[in-house]
Amino acid sequence: MPDQPLQAFAPPSALLSYLPTSISQGTVAGWFLLFVLVFWAIYTLVAIYHWLKYSHASLVAIPAIAVHLGVSFVLIVYALSGTLFI
Amino acid sequence: MNHAKEFELEADEHVVRQTRKHWLLFLIELLPYAILAILPFALPKLLLLAPPLVPYAARIDFTSPLMRAALGIWLLMTWTGAWSAFTRYYLNAWVLTNERIVTIKQRGYFAREVSSVLLTRVQDVTTNVTGMLPSFLDIGNIKVQSAGADVEFTMRGIPHPAQMRDLILKYVPENDGTPDV
Repeated sequence: MPDQPLQAFAPPSALLSYLPTSISQGTVAGWFLLFVLVFWAIYTLVAIYHWLKYSHASLVAIPAIAVHLGVSFVLIVYALSGTLFI
Repeated sequence: MNHAKEFELEADEHVVRQTRKHWLLFLIELLPYAILAILPFALPKLLLLAPPLVPYAARIDFTSPLMRAALGIWLLMTWTGAWSAFTRYYLNAWVLTNERIVTIKQRGYFAREVSSVLLTRVQDVTTNVTGMLPSFLDIGNIKVQSAGADVEFTMRGIPHPAQMRDLILKYVPENDGTPDV
């Protein structure tokens, strides 16, 4: 049994050198936005694929896709309107 | 309407009716998304109601770039979820042809189930309308029981279930194979 007092954990100093010294809020926001937009794009593509394949050429399919893309475009522009100029 | 991609219609087969869940039930499904969409705008006012949280209310300022980005992403995700609910609503359908009933269940993306029962195998058709609002709006369930492998189809929340039941029974052939028209 060691009779020394427990030392507080400290991460290896060599690893710390790999971490960026400062990350700006804008960079984090930019990466987060990129991640969300890529996720949205993949999700939308999957949904459009289902609409086109399984809606049996319904008249609803194209308007539904158009409305989704239109509303999404407005929201994406709104979301980016601030962060683009950070 | 072309159903050939999912099930081939026979030479003398035609679609009698296609139905899906009542639109009101779909609107009820949209309610959580509506609440999520309103939440960011209501949050500052809600925080003011709780004295310890009042300082946080001032931090919610949608004129700042980051808050606008957060709000935009929040609304985008909420909208995409609501649109996805509409996609599921629309792609779930029941198709009655003069020969069979086809149920198309879109449980999620890449989770689709298409099954059918021949009208010659239909033994019993039961309708069920429960509750005050469904009774007023004529929304209910139809249970179709078929012979053989104890297959049971249930159409839930469809408009005018009695009308649909009558239509199914109209096309169920008699023992000699001719439709009971």
